[in-house]
Amino acid sequence: MRFLHNTSIRFMHYKWLWMGISTALIVASLLLITVGPGFKFGVDFSGGTQLTLKFKGEPDLGRIRKALEELGIGTVTIQRFGEVGEHDLLIRVQNPKQQEGDFAAPMLAALDREFNKEQSAIRLNLQGSEVITNALVEANPDEVGGTVSGKQAHYKPMADAILQVRKQKGLIEGPADLTGASAVSADVRTYLSQQARFGEFSLLAADNVGPLVGKDLQSKATYAVVFSLLGMLIYIWFRFQLQYGVGAIVALIHDTIIALGALSLTGREIDIPTIAALLTLIGYSVNDTVIIFDRIRENIRLQRGKPLTDTMDMAINQTLSRTIITSGLTELVVVSLFLFGGDVINTFAFVLMLGIIVGTYSSVYVASPIALFASNWIEQRRQARRRR
Amino acid sequence: MQRKLMWRWLLIGVVAAAAVYFMVPPDKKIKLGLDLKGGIHLVLQVNTGDAVRAEVDDAMERMRAELTGKGFAPEAMQRLEAGDGFKFKPVANTSDKVLDKAIDERLADFKVTRGVEIVAQVKPEVKRTIEDMAVRQGLETIRNRIDQFGVSEPVIQRQGLESNRIVVQLPGVDDPGRVKELIRSTAFLEVKPVVRVAPTEEALLATTGGQAPDDSQVVSGDLKGMDGRTTGKEYYLVKKASVITGRDLRTARRSQDQYNQPAVHFSLTPEGARKFGDYTAAHIGDRMAIVLDNKVHSAPNIKSRIDDSGIIEGGSFTVQSAEDLALVLRAGALPASITYLEERTVGPSLGRDSIVRGIRAGLFGLLMIVAFMLVYYKGAGVNAIVALVLNSVVLIGAMSMFKATLTLPGIAGIILTIGMAVDANVLIFERIREELDLGKTVRSAIDLGFARALSSIVDSNLTTIISALFLFQFGTGPIKGFAVSLTIGLTVSMFTAVFVSRAIFDLVLSRREKVTSLSI
Repeated sequence: MRFLHNTSIRFMHYKWLWMGISTALIVASLLLITVGPGFKFGVDFSGGTQLTLKFKGEPDLGRIRKALEELGIGTVTIQRFGEVGEHDLLIRVQNPKQQEGDFAAPMLAALDREFNKEQSAIRLNLQGSEVITNALVEANPDEVGGTVSGKQAHYKPMADAILQVRKQKGLIEGPADLTGASAVSADVRTYLSQQARFGEFSLLAADNVGPLVGKDLQSKATYAVVFSLLGMLIYIWFRFQLQYGVGAIVALIHDTIIALGALSLTGREIDIPTIAALLTLIGYSVNDTVIIFDRIRENIRLQRGKPLTDTMDMAINQTLSRTIITSGLTELVVVSLFLFGGDVINTFAFVLMLGIIVGTYSSVYVASPIALFASNWIEQRRQARRRR
Repeated sequence: MQRKLMWRWLLIGVVAAAAVYFMVPPDKKIKLGLDLKGGIHLVLQVNTGDAVRAEVDDAMERMRAELTGKGFAPEAMQRLEAGDGFKFKPVANTSDKVLDKAIDERLADFKVTRGVEIVAQVKPEVKRTIEDMAVRQGLETIRNRIDQFGVSEPVIQRQGLESNRIVVQLPGVDDPGRVKELIRSTAFLEVKPVVRVAPTEEALLATTGGQAPDDSQVVSGDLKGMDGRTTGKEYYLVKKASVITGRDLRTARRSQDQYNQPAVHFSLTPEGARKFGDYTAAHIGDRMAIVLDNKVHSAPNIKSRIDDSGIIEGGSFTVQSAEDLALVLRAGALPASITYLEERTVGPSLGRDSIVRGIRAGLFGLLMIVAFMLVYYKGAGVNAIVALVLNSVVLIGAMSMFKATLTLPGIAGIILTIGMAVDANVLIFERIREELDLGKTVRSAIDLGFARALSSIVDSNLTTIISALFLFQFGTGPIKGFAVSLTIGLTVSMFTAVFVSRAIFDLVLSRREKVTSLSI
């Protein structure tokens, strides 16, 4: 089986059309970034505290908001997370006025007061195994005699089994969930169903980024992007010629701006993983460009005297099947990540999914024409100098 | 089989065997990052200003005692606003000799400016040493505390050599709130002589004109009924100078009081025991207050000489809180307060969910690739798949060998690497097809295909590795994991795509006498 065999498409013939489209896309992206929705920064860059909670039932967002606003630590934003029916929420608060400190603990305590009204020493969805063990030691439902340490040894495996249930399900909804934990004795199970507080929610994750760390992360991300672009420029300059380096870098900037525009358009958050995705996109796009440039270089050596436009067309045609197959396969993998990889890496996969398409396209219609213009410009200057 | 080919297969076999050796058993050998395993990552700042302030207060009290002892009690003695020094007015008749001697002996670490007021400021180099010591001691204390949680493979280190930040990573912690509380609690224990007790602050200070005397301070405590419940508050006037502090403790453990309620029992170092013994022997009948973090826990009467141990009770302890207090007392007090700058907590269920989803997505993508390669390249597709499988095995083996941490973005990196590893095969195969189209023989088409694709493969992989290196340099935790898997993956894929698939082609061809066709 072979696709795109022996094609002879005159790619460069249409360069003005596609470069016009690219320019339009860049202008649109820049407008989206500056005028339109702009960037939505996640906790990593904007700073603040974010709790990821799993609720038992449909959570009352108004109560969450009210409970947290009473703390006076800023505006509360609530977002759904994960699949419908899972009742997972992202709750975010801007830390008060550039203040450092642990805001996750007071937020959790406030929500605990609001949603888990009954008092109990045992809170199965919030405590760890050691605390649950010691609470059981004090209640002693199995009426074990002897020292405290002996009782601890008796109840510890039960607490571990309970936490295992929480790990599997994310939230212990009620006494029925404990029947699966066989290490838990019947008396303890009875005691827990009467006395323990199952509560309305459990903590899946907490992120707190103070202003100092936020600033660090911002500068690190900027350095990473700038230095990798520079690294690429130098590598391609060294391996090919300056005009190709310029072509590749313009293509990379093109890809990055369009990806950023898409992030702005879709309202996705920019976080550290998003930056990693942008850098991967840069790596992927340059990879694609280099393969075409490599073929151009080879063709120039084989066919001296032919116009560069034709040599480029030939190289793009020769590598076309490879370009489509590789991009297609990588895209397949990334789409699979996007669809099944879960919410945590969804934006990451989104950037790559878009990036592979844009990166493949830009190798043909941005990097190559720019390299062509740069070559022609250098050639004209050389001739002008010779004439003088 | 040709000799040369045999050696190549031997090398491949060794690499594969080594990879399998390093990755088995996978659940032990592959180190999961906090985002997959669950756990807590904290960046905290030691507020070194506290330690400087404590040093200043100490010097100030020494100076006051010295001058007061000589009969020239200083006036208006107070700490400077910046906290790094203090000032006072010597009384008019202070003898210069006494003052000079006191400054010389007591304020060696201070830069002293004399005028109507005497201003003493900590010397910059001394200040730096105090700050550095505070961070080191904080690190040590936190390490001691964490060692007792029983967390496996904790990371506790200073962020940079000079900074006042400490990074703490605790994998698999199931109660992040408690851990944060325990790390941060100051647990400053003092035993102080009680001057007076009263139900309100006003009543307490009525005889001294509404102000505590210079050598004393007011501390509050809960008032408890017979059943141990808190019924109100009590105020204690205690001496500033402690009999013993947490520093004099040798160890502490959870125990029980006389009513079988949880309590904390402590024992003292030899020096602490001597101080405590001397004091209690001389003050039988007096009350002493056991003060924890500026709150009176209990204030028993001294019935007899107490040498080397004591008990903290009446704090309405639970088994848990008694255990926690004993833990922090054993580990020592923090030299300065702590502020959390960053927290990343991932619950175990989220991590588990991420692994399941990540692997599912990866396998699905991999299957699609396999299917495509078989349909499109037929026989050569099998070759690519063998190379791909070997690539995955060697990648995971190499990650285990380098003890690299697998994170969620790392899984994405591996999946992406697989996609890019196929690229090398595609480049080679397409090139071989091209050469075959030009009428080359199978053997020379393979030779040329590999030779000509090589520079493209190296260039394209190297450029991606460049961006991965910068990601590693500037990235944090999970992202570093991504950069590591990507770099190792790309390096391995160059090996498998170029070396291994070539060896497979050669192996297939070496079995046939005359080669006229190739399944590609």
